[in-house]
Amino acid sequence: MPIERYIFLAIALFCIGIAGVLIRRNAIIVFMCIELMLNAVNLLLVAFSKMHHLKATAANATAGIEGQLFVFFIMVVAAAEVSVGLAIIVMMYRNVHSVDINFLNRLKH
Amino acid sequence: MHIYLLQAVTQNPDSSYWYLPVGLQLLFAIAFVGLMMGVTHLLGPSRKTADKLSNFESGIESVGNARQPMAVKYFLVAILFVLFDVEVIFFYPYAVNFKSLGWEGFLAVMMFVGFFLCGFIYIIKKGALKWED
Amino acid sequence: MSNEQLLALLPFMVLAGASIVVILMIAARLSHTAIQVAGFLMLCFTVLAMGYVRDILPQEILPLFIIDGFAALYTGVIIFSVGVVGLLSYIYFEEREENPKEYYILLFLATLGAAVLTISRHFVSLFLGLEILSVSLYALIAYLRNRNNAIESGLKYLILAALTSAFLLLGMALFYMETGSMEFNAIGQKLAGSDPGVLFKLGLALMVVAIGFKLALVPFHLWAADVYQGAPAPVTAFIATASKVGVFAVLMRFSLAVNLQQSEFLLNVFSGIAIASMILGNILALRQQNIKRLLAYSSIAHLGYLIVAFLPGTREGIEASVFYLFAYAITILSAFGIVTILSTRMKDAEDLSVYRGLFWRKPLLAAVLAVSLFSLAGIPLTAGFFAKFIVLLTGANYNLWLPVIVLVLTSVIGLYYYLRIISTLFASAPAAEPRHKPLHPFFHFVTYATLFVLMVMICVLGVFPGPAIEGIRQFLMIR
Repeated sequence: MPIERYIFLAIALFCIGIAGVLIRRNAIIVFMCIELMLNAVNLLLVAFSKMHHLKATAANATAGIEGQLFVFFIMVVAAAEVSVGLAIIVMMYRNVHSVDINFLNRLKH
Repeated sequence: MHIYLLQAVTQNPDSSYWYLPVGLQLLFAIAFVGLMMGVTHLLGPSRKTADKLSNFESGIESVGNARQPMAVKYFLVAILFVLFDVEVIFFYPYAVNFKSLGWEGFLAVMMFVGFFLCGFIYIIKKGALKWED
Repeated sequence: MSNEQLLALLPFMVLAGASIVVILMIAARLSHTAIQVAGFLMLCFTVLAMGYVRDILPQEILPLFIIDGFAALYTGVIIFSVGVVGLLSYIYFEEREENPKEYYILLFLATLGAAVLTISRHFVSLFLGLEILSVSLYALIAYLRNRNNAIESGLKYLILAALTSAFLLLGMALFYMETGSMEFNAIGQKLAGSDPGVLFKLGLALMVVAIGFKLALVPFHLWAADVYQGAPAPVTAFIATASKVGVFAVLMRFSLAVNLQQSEFLLNVFSGIAIASMILGNILALRQQNIKRLLAYSSIAHLGYLIVAFLPGTREGIEASVFYLFAYAITILSAFGIVTILSTRMKDAEDLSVYRGLFWRKPLLAAVLAVSLFSLAGIPLTAGFFAKFIVLLTGANYNLWLPVIVLVLTSVIGLYYYLRIISTLFASAPAAEPRHKPLHPFFHFVTYATLFVLMVMICVLGVFPGPAIEGIRQFLMIR
């Protein structure tokens, strides 16, 4: 498949994620949308890695390896982000009994 | 030293023939879900009476909703599970290249496990995995 | 990896080890005091290790890291700030939290993240450093979990920072598509002389957004005031210093590698951001009654000044930026130190009314705060003045007239609100509140001594900046 299709798919997923973050008011769903964005980037990185591998495989047997390595790290970091994020959301629920981000409006000058 | 990550078939990448495994997997997933639901429906005993469907609270009329939020303990364990579960993906590349990485790789993985163990000791000592207070 | 390369990483390994040591100490149920002392010792070890490995620098650890004089300088500023933040934290968290110990794990992890940023020369290490820094910051900001404000600012920072991380990643992926590499130098070589496509430009824009967010530059500054206000005062000090130093260091290294300053368009973008930050930061600070928010806006303006030193992209620019960051770190740390000390059990000392007549009640604290505000305003004989002066000089040498003129004009605006706080300090005192005996006399003494030393440093750097600049120059030779 040509690389453009991967790019279109990834950008579409990324935009869905952005739209979700901007529109939805539930903190957990906002979080899921951010995960969607990260996974769109993962898809893109793997596709590019494959592309560079095919392009330069004659000169360098490990060409394009960085993209796939990066994906592993992004996955782990995303998990760490989620666990800290969920912990904060639970604390918010305990304090205001809601996970609606419209309640985050008390800090004002 | 060659390091292999994900291997995909490179010849004929455009042929729709290569989507066959994906389709098969999809079929299997659907069939598995259908089978499980059907079998439990058939095998499980089902005798429905009005008394049996009502809530039972030691003979007293039931009060309130049974669907209370889960205890926070469960949530903590779930979060810890996510962390420890995802770290396993670092073992995957190591397992694939186990031989070529040799002792140096083994040492590095042992170090990683060691750091992880420190975190595990910490959560055990903190009592994060204790269910009963 | 050769022995010398391993040795060069020693300071960072000590830093990483520090968080493990603290974890195990908590597991062994040691007291807060023991952990504080051990943490301080680990920081001292880090500094010693940095001194020890100085002679074998520069070392390149392919493909992720490069440890040179540039990295050593920025790491030094980070370690210094964290040391001060750690000293300030003891009393603050001892009074407020039933379990103040995990704070030190998070603090060390965040420091490690910022330090990794200074030595990274590859997208993977950049991303990992940035995320270690921000994930620990989420938890640090929301650390006082009984306060609504802390949770709110923590969640705000969490959502926005995770969003910008996704932007940064997409930017990196598009860079990778264009160049097929993730090393800064290789990217620079591939880009030289080629005309990149539209997707690459999109990636560049996304990365500018992400870096602008992390540095709280206008127009990506919206989180700054809320997070500064909601976070515990020592954590705010950390955000204002160490995290920004790390991100700025990696921005500098990346732009030097890809010759970012050679592009007319990007230069205009960054000077636009700098000008907007200077103007808006100072104007928004004018009417603030909350000192934490005021310092947040002032830090936006200061990062704008700093970007002026970034614009030339030469050795003079780096020198000026390191000196500026050092002076800024000392100054803002002493200001937040005062906020930390004056905070009560229930509430941080953020209202301006708390500071009314402070001079008549606690002259030493008032003096430290006044000196640090003078330095922020850039009054002569303080470190802030000289830092601004070299930034101006570098800007003028490279004919960046518009940013330089804006810098001078906005500094004058800034003078107004800094002087307003200082006049509050000397206003007639309200009835003195009952003095309660400090709980930890030794740590109170240490905190006061730290603040005093910071004040002296501000003055010394303002009067005799020569040795400091000479030292910076010598470190930058190591490359």
